[in-house]
Amino acid sequence: MKATRREILYAGGIGLLSFTLGGAKVELSPRDAREAGVKPRVLLSNEEETLAALGDRIVPGSRESGVSVYVDHQLAVSFEECMLMIQYLGVAPPFTSFYRSGLSSVNSVARARHGQPFAELTDANAEALIEDMASEKLEDWEGPPQGLFYFVIRNDACDVQYGTQEGFVRLNVPYAAHILPPSEWG
Amino acid sequence: MTLPREKVDVVIVGSGAAGAHFAARLSQAGQRVAVLEAGPEIKTEQMVSSMLWARRLKWKGAPVLETGPEPVGYVFNAGWGVGGASIHHYAVWPRMHENDFRVRSLYGRGLDWPISYADLRPYYDRVQKECGISGDAKAEVWRPAGEPYPMGPVASANQGRIVGKGFESLGMKVAPLPMAIATRTYDGRPSCIWDGWCDAGCPTGALSNALSVHWPKALAAGATLHPNTQVVRVLTESKGTRASGVEVVTAKGERVRIMADAVVLAANTIQNARILLASESSHHPHGLGNASGTLGQFVTSHLAAPIFGLHPDKTNPWFGAFGGQFLNQEHYDQKEKFSGQGAFGSYQWMIAQAVKPNGLLGIAPSRPDIRGAALKRFMERSTEHMITMTGVVEDLPIAENRVTLSQQKDAWGVPLATVQHASSPESLALWKVAVDEGLRVFRAAGADDVWNAPKAPMHIMGGTIMGKGAGDSVANRYGAVHEVPNLVLGGASLFPTSGGVNPTFTIHALASMACDQLT
Repeated sequence: MKATRREILYAGGIGLLSFTLGGAKVELSPRDAREAGVKPRVLLSNEEETLAALGDRIVPGSRESGVSVYVDHQLAVSFEECMLMIQYLGVAPPFTSFYRSGLSSVNSVARARHGQPFAELTDANAEALIEDMASEKLEDWEGPPQGLFYFVIRNDACDVQYGTQEGFVRLNVPYAAHILPPSEWG
Repeated sequence: MTLPREKVDVVIVGSGAAGAHFAARLSQAGQRVAVLEAGPEIKTEQMVSSMLWARRLKWKGAPVLETGPEPVGYVFNAGWGVGGASIHHYAVWPRMHENDFRVRSLYGRGLDWPISYADLRPYYDRVQKECGISGDAKAEVWRPAGEPYPMGPVASANQGRIVGKGFESLGMKVAPLPMAIATRTYDGRPSCIWDGWCDAGCPTGALSNALSVHWPKALAAGATLHPNTQVVRVLTESKGTRASGVEVVTAKGERVRIMADAVVLAANTIQNARILLASESSHHPHGLGNASGTLGQFVTSHLAAPIFGLHPDKTNPWFGAFGGQFLNQEHYDQKEKFSGQGAFGSYQWMIAQAVKPNGLLGIAPSRPDIRGAALKRFMERSTEHMITMTGVVEDLPIAENRVTLSQQKDAWGVPLATVQHASSPESLALWKVAVDEGLRVFRAAGADDVWNAPKAPMHIMGGTIMGKGAGDSVANRYGAVHEVPNLVLGGASLFPTSGGVNPTFTIHALASMACDQLT
């Protein structure tokens, strides 16, 4: 029998990060933080929304799993604490400009093609844009290399959707930890 | 721990596989040893079972700037903190073969080592007892001469047996993968439980690394360890012919000189070259140990050839060791076998590696083209039915593949390292040969879908190579710098050629040989 998300959180004691909400410090899971409307620390609100929408198109469920909160949190901490996979891919820190220019380009292309930001595109239009980005065919792209940007966002989304204890449960894979993560992502 | 104010016998730069090995041996021989580590202390509780948390064990120091069509993947390959890359390494410990040491003499290309396999064999034998290697020497029909392993082989499971049948159906053998992982209680270390978290560090001590094997011995023998201490240059005496110590920057930003009778530089492949280049002086205007002009040159990085497949049978690929279950070195000793295809060199297969859903080597990134609803289906099937193996492909040494100093500097004013790397046409052709063979094996194993990942860098070697003299290399057969003999190098930066095997066992064997000279 698969454990529920709440059972996993309880068993592992995981997933709580500190946020400021209404002037008070609270501890919330990334998913709950997003639902509570906690403001991002590094990304702008429209960037966070674009990231969540893009991540969810590529890896369904990753919006709810907190991909935008995850990336924003990692951009806010020091490089020594950073867990983003981008650090393996030949991009020197800090990484904020990489994400910012990529997300801006996604929206620019979406507006040029359809007169709407990416988050408001239809399924077909969003998929067509992602396909062109993954195969580096977007002509008006001004961000980092398109294929690399796609790869990075896809991996961030996979990290939150499939790389946590909750994600392993989704796949019915035994987590079998030596040492359980004190939180999902720092 | 306070930095030593008085002269020590040996100061060691770097606390990874080589540095810890030197520290244990030299301190046990009664020498006063101080070890300087740029990164922080690493404790076992930091070895959190998570492919996200594992990224905190990789390089977090000054950026290394990478150029060229096949960058070396520095951050992924290098470690950060006490224990260095040994903490996240996968403990696959095959020996280099006899022809790896004589590539120039035998084939008229690449370089020769100043030592032979016979010279290094006693040290391989010694190290495998010290660190504990599991395997089946007889089954490794390609293995050069040596003592049998002290422990029986690692666990095999469905994935390994399925891929093994693929090799056998094509007339090729597999043998248990030689691994520095305990399969029984060994020297106080417990047996592995095969949960596949090696990349995140092994907190149980089953996997041989600096923290589980050499650091306890070094500290017990009186060596002192100084984390968060960045070495900025090696100092020399007035004539420039002897090292006198090192200059460091502490965590508080203070510059301190630590004096020593001998210096061991075992930072890591790229940082060894960077520190020597940054240690220029009037006697060494182009960098310390650079009379030959080869300092920084001949950087090599194995071309990884990852093969994936989906098999009708359940494979449970999350089980086992990250490095794999079986080994194949079928063509290893025939470096010219595929010359008709423009290829040269040796390669091996690490078969049936444990994979996690995420992470750079995980299930999800293996098919970046799959997304949306199809990704969920792919992930659900792959976590039960994936098979995988990785080819380790030799990279011919090229002088132009080198470490140089950038105009950019780190926080302490030390120029950053730039690493240029482009694989030779022969190495790229060999990678293609390996990939084609790997795909054939997986089809023969009965996989209903097979694919390969793009070439990727694995391990970094060279840059301060050993050779016959000051005219052709940086260091001698014992790692001593030709012009400054009390400055000894440790690590894979000494490798003139890469071979097609994982480097850590050879790093230890070289360190063991050098220690015999220093004690």
